[in-house]
Amino acid sequence: MSRFASRVLTAAMFVIAAVYLYPLFLVVINSFKTFAEITTNVIALPTRPNLDNFKNAFTLMQYPNLFVNTLLATAIGTSGVVLLSSAAGYKLSRTKTRYSWLVLILCIAPMMIPFQSFMIALVKVARFLHLTKTIYGLGIIYWGLGAPLSLFMYHGFVKTVPKELDECALIDGSSSLRTFFAVIFPILKPVTVSVVVLNAMWMWNDFLLPLLVLSGAKKSQTLQLAAYNFFGQYKIEWHYAMAGVLLTITPAILFYLALQKHIIEGMVSGAVKG
Amino acid sequence: MISARSKKRLGHAVDFMALTAPAIIVILVFVELPFLMSVAYSFTKWNGLDKVPQFIGLANYRELFTDDPDMAHAFVFTIAFTALMVLLTNVVAMLLAVVLDGGIKGRNVLRAAFYLPNIISLIIIGYVWRFIFSKGFDSFLNATHAGIFGLSWLGDGKLAFFSVLAVSVWQSIGFYLVIYIAGLQTVPRDIIEASLLDGVGSGTRFWRITLPMIMPSVTVCVFYSLSNALKSFDVIFSLTSGGPGTATTSIALDIYKTAFGAGRFGYGSAKSVLLFLLIMVVTVLQVTVFKRREVEA
Repeated sequence: MSRFASRVLTAAMFVIAAVYLYPLFLVVINSFKTFAEITTNVIALPTRPNLDNFKNAFTLMQYPNLFVNTLLATAIGTSGVVLLSSAAGYKLSRTKTRYSWLVLILCIAPMMIPFQSFMIALVKVARFLHLTKTIYGLGIIYWGLGAPLSLFMYHGFVKTVPKELDECALIDGSSSLRTFFAVIFPILKPVTVSVVVLNAMWMWNDFLLPLLVLSGAKKSQTLQLAAYNFFGQYKIEWHYAMAGVLLTITPAILFYLALQKHIIEGMVSGAVKG
Repeated sequence: MISARSKKRLGHAVDFMALTAPAIIVILVFVELPFLMSVAYSFTKWNGLDKVPQFIGLANYRELFTDDPDMAHAFVFTIAFTALMVLLTNVVAMLLAVVLDGGIKGRNVLRAAFYLPNIISLIIIGYVWRFIFSKGFDSFLNATHAGIFGLSWLGDGKLAFFSVLAVSVWQSIGFYLVIYIAGLQTVPRDIIEASLLDGVGSGTRFWRITLPMIMPSVTVCVFYSLSNALKSFDVIFSLTSGGPGTATTSIALDIYKTAFGAGRFGYGSAKSVLLFLLIMVVTVLQVTVFKRREVEA
């Protein structure tokens, strides 16, 4: 490709990317406007940019409470998935018996079951176990939903870890559990990063499970549920809504900007191995 | 007396269970048991309040196939939506990936830009676009006087289909773009260079060399776009709530409405079993067909 053609193509791609992200740019500028300004013109820049919308949305949504709830559900869910699936993925990869093969199938087959195919009965199970209407319950349910794919990713990676490592530790007399956490788990770090990224992004942004499990619990809402309540009103106050959108997506975007390389790698490895 | 050998075997079993049981239990309790229960509920009439669902045999399935225009419509919508989603996301994402992989400047910035919508929750994406389609399009119309901004993109059933489709494509392209770029990076440079020396045109190079080499990425991307489109819920829920009327109601949304809206949990379960079978059949077929076309590097 000639240098000129390459420059034209580069410029064209930047224009396409700008158009692509224009809707999000509109959200940003309109979150600084008054309701009247939004009604007259969405495209114009705000005349007197101020933070009033953010202050109001912040208190209307009870943002700090929602933020903590969403973070808690994500943290409980992600850390549980990492612990459970790394341990099981490791052990299933190292054990070669008829039963372990069957157990592996039992653990990873659920990747193929769409959430909507078992959500109705899941709500009943969750209610029976008193896991509804609590953030902790939501986090615990994620363990089961996140484990199959994560276990599969760990299982594949453990194959590349030399067996001599655990054998040495076992000769030293350390138990399987201790060998795993002291020797193996640190080596699995690359997969752990992918697993954390995949699960955290999913849980933070998830909507349907929180909707089903947390409905009717006023104090235990997540950011996505609050957005739904915010927009579900008959007359939407767009200036607050746009500020609310920004407040809701900013944590995910900061997480993305900080860990961009890991997120993209994690997504790719999760997708290709799943 | 327990022999030393059986003691050792018991030790192995305890060891095995200590590491695997926690994962097995949560998967059984939160996925497999509810799934089996859903299959069982699909043969019952149950309003969610009665203690015991009432067994009615295949009546739900009979209604599903013969007496439910809403479900039939949701089925047609989902199939049409999925076909276009798979086609558009993969073609556009691959096109962008080829351009971004072709040595232009600012590749990483551009990749990050296209990926951005993918990290925002689908529910928010729907609300953002509701704002664009209503308030935004009013302003675009005033500024440009272009007729397309005056149409009722969410209020007209036919147009709403394309709105839902466009937003879903917009949101998901980044994901597939990233996988295609990763796939393109595995194509050996010497093959490309050899083709350049042989004077192979860029079109031929793409169809004859690049595309066959990245077939594994194509298999993965088509698989994900298929299964995601077949179960799409969030964007539709927040953008149109399945409306106007039932114009944009997908199977997944129909299941939600049947069970949690109308309180027909048995019937909703029958629909959810159907969704499972649909996704299974379609994706297994797709992977089988696509795997055959993959070549060794």
